[in-house]
Amino acid sequence: MSLRLDPSVYVLLQDRAEGLRYACLIVLLAGISESLGQSVVLFLNRVRPQRFVLALSISTASHLVGYLLWTLTIWSVGSLLSGAEQSWSAVAVVVGLAYAPQVFAFFELTPYLGNLIWGILSLWSMVAIILALHYGLNMEPWQALLVSALGWMVMQALRRTVGLPILCFRSWLQRRAAGVPLVVKPDDVPHLRRHRRPNWYEQLELRRRSVRLPPVRKKRKPTDEQTHVHRME
Amino acid sequence: MFTEWSDLLLLPLVALIIFLFWASLTPFETLGWWAGWFGNAIYHDTALNEAQEGANVQKTRPSQPSTAFVLFLSGIGRVSGQTLSYREQGFLDRLRQRLPGAVVIDNIFPYSVNNLALTGQPIFAGLWQWALRRKLEGPALAGYLINTRNLLQVAIAADKRYGPIYNQAMAEVMLDTVMRYDFDPESETPIFLIGYSGAGQIAIGAVTYLREWTKAPIYVISLGGIFSSDPGLLVANHVFHLWGTRDKAQIWRFLMPGRWSWIATSEWNRALRQGRATIIRMDGMGHTGRGGYLDRNPPAEGERSNIDRTVEIISAIIEQADHPEHIPRIG
Repeated sequence: MSLRLDPSVYVLLQDRAEGLRYACLIVLLAGISESLGQSVVLFLNRVRPQRFVLALSISTASHLVGYLLWTLTIWSVGSLLSGAEQSWSAVAVVVGLAYAPQVFAFFELTPYLGNLIWGILSLWSMVAIILALHYGLNMEPWQALLVSALGWMVMQALRRTVGLPILCFRSWLQRRAAGVPLVVKPDDVPHLRRHRRPNWYEQLELRRRSVRLPPVRKKRKPTDEQTHVHRME
Repeated sequence: MFTEWSDLLLLPLVALIIFLFWASLTPFETLGWWAGWFGNAIYHDTALNEAQEGANVQKTRPSQPSTAFVLFLSGIGRVSGQTLSYREQGFLDRLRQRLPGAVVIDNIFPYSVNNLALTGQPIFAGLWQWALRRKLEGPALAGYLINTRNLLQVAIAADKRYGPIYNQAMAEVMLDTVMRYDFDPESETPIFLIGYSGAGQIAIGAVTYLREWTKAPIYVISLGGIFSSDPGLLVANHVFHLWGTRDKAQIWRFLMPGRWSWIATSEWNRALRQGRATIIRMDGMGHTGRGGYLDRNPPAEGERSNIDRTVEIISAIIEQADHPEHIPRIG
C-alpha cells in the first residue's frame, strides 16, 4: 500500500506499535536494496566475497542511521514550523513508510536503464515523503513540501558541518570492512585496465581452460530418407 | 483492498518486476569477473575444435601467411561458440570460400566474459540446456530466455558503468581466440570484427582495448548491428555499418541518445563526419529469417539471394578496407 502511496496506510499504521515495526522493516529492506544498488564500487575495487557481505551490512546499518537522522530533522523542523507537538514515533512511522519506493533501489543496477530507474525512484520518493507528511501528520500540502525541503536542506548543512566526523567514521568503517583500499570511484571506470603490461597476452596460454560440451545441434542424418523433406529455411 | 484498475495492472507489473530483478542480477557476472571471483580463465570448447579440425576447416599454414583475421560474432540467439543457425553456417562457408587467404573464425561466444558457454555454466547450465532444447524442438517461447539473457549482456556492454569492464573481457576473449589461430599481435595483419545484430555493440566496444594490445589495424563490420555511440567507434580504423532498408531491429538505435543525428558531438556522429564510419545500404534486406541479411532464397525469380549480396559486400570490405571509397555501394 505504501508503494502505491495510498493515503489510508499512513492513518492506519501511525498510532500502532506494529506501525513502527512495519516502517522499520521497510527501511531495512530499502537499506539492503540501496546498498546492493550501490555495490558496484565494491566490485570495482575487487573486494573478496566475504568482505563484500560485510561491507554491505555496514552500508545497510548506515542507511538505518540516516533514517533516524532524517526522522529527527523532519520532526524538529515540523514541530518548529507548525508549532503543534507531533509524537516522535508518529513521524518515524510516516517517514519510514515513505522509504517504500527505495525498496526497488536494487533495480538501479539494471544495465543501460539504471539512470532512468534512479530518476524515477528519486521522484517517487519525493512524492512519497510529501504525501506521507500530508496524510500522515495532517499537514497542508504546502506545509509538507516546505517541511521536506527544509528538512533536506538541514540534512545537507549537517552533512557538511557537524555530520562530517560521522561521515568520516562511516567511510573508515567501510574501508575496514572492504579489506582493500577503495580507491576506484565509479567515474574512473573508463580508465580502468586489467593489465598494466602491454604484452600481458603472452600468458594467455596459461589462462586457457578447456571444457567439453555436448554438440548444440545434433548432426543431420546423411541418409536418403531426408532428401524428400523440404526444409523451411 | 485492490481497486479494479490495479487488479488489471497487477500481472504485467509482476512480470516487469521479475524482469527488472533478473536484469539487475546480470551485471554481477561481469562485476564478479572483474573482482576476480570467477578466476582468470578463458574457456574454449575442445569438442568444437576437434570437430573443426576433423572437418579440415582452414587453419593458417606457415607457408601461407593469412591476409586477414575475420572474427564473426553471432547474434543474440547463441548459447555457445557453436552456431545454432543454418543461415549463419551458410554465410561463414561462403565467406571462407570467397576469401581463401583469410582466417574466418566463429567459435566464440560473445555474450560471456570468459567465453564459457551458457550450457557449461556452473549453476544454471541445466536451465540453459532446457531452454536450448525448447529453442530447437519447440515451443520456441522458452528459447527466448536465451535471447533475452544475451540482449541483457548487450545492454551491459552499452552501459557506461559496466561497459568498460565487459568490453575489456570481450577484447581478451577475442585476442585469445585469434591467437589460437596463430595471430601475432606484433604483426600488421588486419583484424575484422563482424558483429551481427546485438554483437555490433560487442565488436565496437572491444576495439578500444584490442587497439592497446596489438599493432594490427582493426576494422568493424556491423551486420545490421545494434550499437550505442561507443568510444570504440573512433578507435577502430574504420566502421562499416550494413543497414538493411527493411531491418526493423534498427529501431533500437533510438534508445541510444548518441545515435540521434542532432547530438553532433557523439562518437557516432563524429565518426560519420570524419569519414571513419560508413553506412552501407542493403536494399530490401530485413534483420533475420526470411528476407534477412543471410537468407539463401532469392527474393524473386532470377534475382540474387540476400546472403550472396551480403557475402559480396563483406568480402569487398575485407579486401579493400584501407580504401573504403573503393567499396561498391550496391547493397
